[in-house]
Amino acid sequence: MFSLSYFLQQSMNGVILGCIYALLALGMTVVYGILRLINFAHGALITLGAFFMYFVFFRLGLPFVAALFLVLGFGGVMGLVLDLVAYRKLRGGPEVALLITSLGFYTFIENLTKLIVSPQPYAFKTPEFLATLYRTPYLTFRTVDVFIILSSLLIMLAFHLFVKRTKLGIAMRATAENLEIANLMGIEVNRVISVAFVLGSAIAAFTGFLWGAKYGQISYDMGFLTGVKAFVAVVVGGVGSIPGAMLGGFVLGLAEVLSIAVLPTRFAEYRDGIVFAILILVLLIRPSGIMGIREEVRV
Amino acid sequence: MISLLKVEKVTVKYGVIPAVRELELEVGRGQIVALLGANGAGKTTTLKTIVGVLRPARGRIFYDGKDITSLPAPQRVRLGIALVPEGRGIFNRLTVRENLLLGAYHRRDQGGVLQDLEEVYRLFPRLKERENQIAGTLSGGEQQMLAIGRGLMSRPRLMLLDEPSLGLAPLVVRELYTLIRRIRESGVTILLVEQSAPMAIGVADYVYVLETGMVKIAGTPREVESLEEVKKVYLGG
Repeated sequence: MFSLSYFLQQSMNGVILGCIYALLALGMTVVYGILRLINFAHGALITLGAFFMYFVFFRLGLPFVAALFLVLGFGGVMGLVLDLVAYRKLRGGPEVALLITSLGFYTFIENLTKLIVSPQPYAFKTPEFLATLYRTPYLTFRTVDVFIILSSLLIMLAFHLFVKRTKLGIAMRATAENLEIANLMGIEVNRVISVAFVLGSAIAAFTGFLWGAKYGQISYDMGFLTGVKAFVAVVVGGVGSIPGAMLGGFVLGLAEVLSIAVLPTRFAEYRDGIVFAILILVLLIRPSGIMGIREEVRV
Repeated sequence: MISLLKVEKVTVKYGVIPAVRELELEVGRGQIVALLGANGAGKTTTLKTIVGVLRPARGRIFYDGKDITSLPAPQRVRLGIALVPEGRGIFNRLTVRENLLLGAYHRRDQGGVLQDLEEVYRLFPRLKERENQIAGTLSGGEQQMLAIGRGLMSRPRLMLLDEPSLGLAPLVVRELYTLIRRIRESGVTILLVEQSAPMAIGVADYVYVLETGMVKIAGTPREVESLEEVKKVYLGG
């Protein structure tokens, strides 16, 4: 049977993967809430963020904190560019046009990355001060694990306070509920949407670094399945609900890691399948997700 | 009469079909003007055009002497035009307080906003009680009060009310009209759209009746009331 320490160890891994999904889901759910856009390009941001960090931190040797802020800024700018170049012109058009565009931009960014960096994965060393190993009777972990969990929780808390307490955050939720009425309140809807893209993309780029630091490898196509799974987290948690997206991320991360840990080794290659099985299961039981609000029919 | 709002030969189309044709309408400062008409007469279209959600194909709109025809909606809000939309249009998932604060979204005077919030709460004690409740859980009457309160939070000079009495119990409607009078007394000009005419004619200084997108009748309440067709169609007698 499995020992307690094995279970704890895997749970920690699950929570960390959950952090990554949850951070990505945050940006996706906000954009989806407003535009009804499944933003596949969001996944590309973690690839870009990971490689950007690789270059500014490892190659250019900038101080860690400066590199982190640069990654956040870079992600934000990319989000703004995506919004302006890819999506703004399509507002008011059919939702499927947005969807196809986001797939197109994902593919474009992925191939561009492949062209610029390499089709081969890059080894991503964990920064030295994050690589310290701690052994306790039940749990073995590195500083980077603590860093991922704490920074993720901090970002989620900050995001939560942003949407609950700030004027812009309240306007964002209002826009997600009813764009036309938000417009009537004097809210510049386009600005709110840009802010949603900027924040979500900055977080995604940062997540790219977390990914690299944890798993030690980054590649041009790392964003695709991760992005899709983050959207699964959005749906599982309940579309349109920000706490739901975070919860969905953790549920997914834990379920993915624990099911692999518990099942015989030959099932390991089914881990992606398991994620989608969870999606189907949740939707069968609760069609609007764990914390979802029933969608009103849009006239 | 100095008019606050002047709609000049405005035509609004959905695709190729005109919903409003060559509409002429004027609202004087401090007045309550009623805009009546059956379903599909173009009342809501008119309001949406005035507030800037819809663009006229032809014609011009003047507000406070300025041509605002090409101004986007958020900027019109800044000039003091507030629409209280049909079916309330409140944000169901936000709290009462958040809804009210959004009414003042464009304002920069934090202190003034909080003062007005207290003012709205004085006007609607029910809203104060339910300050932190999700707006979707309010009753129909409370939601209408919230929608009006939210409109007031923008410190409007011109308030457009789209069928405020729709779906409300008669007693609540009476309350609502008392409130509309009070709002006017505080200096806000009101353009009131209604399907149920008697109450609206009762408070109005001037009445327009729309039919298939055109002004069919225009006059003072007394003039309008005496017309046979108005009696028959709108006053139930």
